[in-house]
Amino acid sequence: MTLIAHAIVAAPPASLSAEGLRGRPLAWSGAATGLGVWSTEWPPEMKLEGPDAMEHHRLVERICAAQPCLPVRFGTSFASVEAARASLDKRAEALHAALARVGGKSEVALTLLWRNPAPAEPIVPAAGPGRRYMEDRRAELMGREAQRARAESLVDRLIAELAIERPLVWHETCTSASVAVSLAVLVPTERALEQKAELTRIASGFRDVISVVNGPWPPYTFARTE
Amino acid sequence: MKELTAEDASLLELVDRLLNKGVVLAGEATISVAGIDLIYLGLNVVLSAVETIDKAQQRRAS
Repeated sequence: MTLIAHAIVAAPPASLSAEGLRGRPLAWSGAATGLGVWSTEWPPEMKLEGPDAMEHHRLVERICAAQPCLPVRFGTSFASVEAARASLDKRAEALHAALARVGGKSEVALTLLWRNPAPAEPIVPAAGPGRRYMEDRRAELMGREAQRARAESLVDRLIAELAIERPLVWHETCTSASVAVSLAVLVPTERALEQKAELTRIASGFRDVISVVNGPWPPYTFARTE
Repeated sequence: MKELTAEDASLLELVDRLLNKGVVLAGEATISVAGIDLIYLGLNVVLSAVETIDKAQQRRAS
């Protein structure tokens, strides 16, 4: 029987219902270093599918609501309980540090979508194909640079108005033609809804983007240990 | 490319976190999800993973 990992916690484990993915048993495997991992007992021949990802998310939410936890990337499997324990023990120091940093915290996510695509510059009507190509290329690059600068300025303003420390914010800008900013803020769980409302208020003041605020979610973005 | 709606953005943000974030127990674990390519570069590319999830759901429903 393999294990599909959901979340790492410190011992002792909280009392949780014993139902994991697709109703299979949810098990806690404790390691010698005071850490443990909540996992679903999973037959090795059974494949994970898309909907299991959402169920994993709901399980991680349930575990994080019961005790401080580190979400594990979906799809992580262990060949046995011993393999899970060995993996935790091998990285115990980093995992304890990560747990201390994000345990009891949640993340609120903000996506800013461009309201309108960047306007195309008019092409000189009499220009030849080479000139038109170069003009188009130049306009495209300038448009992209302007968008990136604007996106970064939106991030700066969000951080300033939230009055939050930079290490508690993660962001990317212009990850696709539609996305201006993808940002996550790490906040104490008990203040997450308050921070979500504040983020919504600040972002609604930006006229050139549509804001989408999500969460609070388990601190996926901030749980990295490498 | 299809324009991203607010609903799309919410789903993509969550899927991006599930597949691309969280603790990685490298060397001891494997990432194995049927039909989903977990190697992608960011929010824009995760669109393909969402399409794959949709197709998998349709296959299960039929």
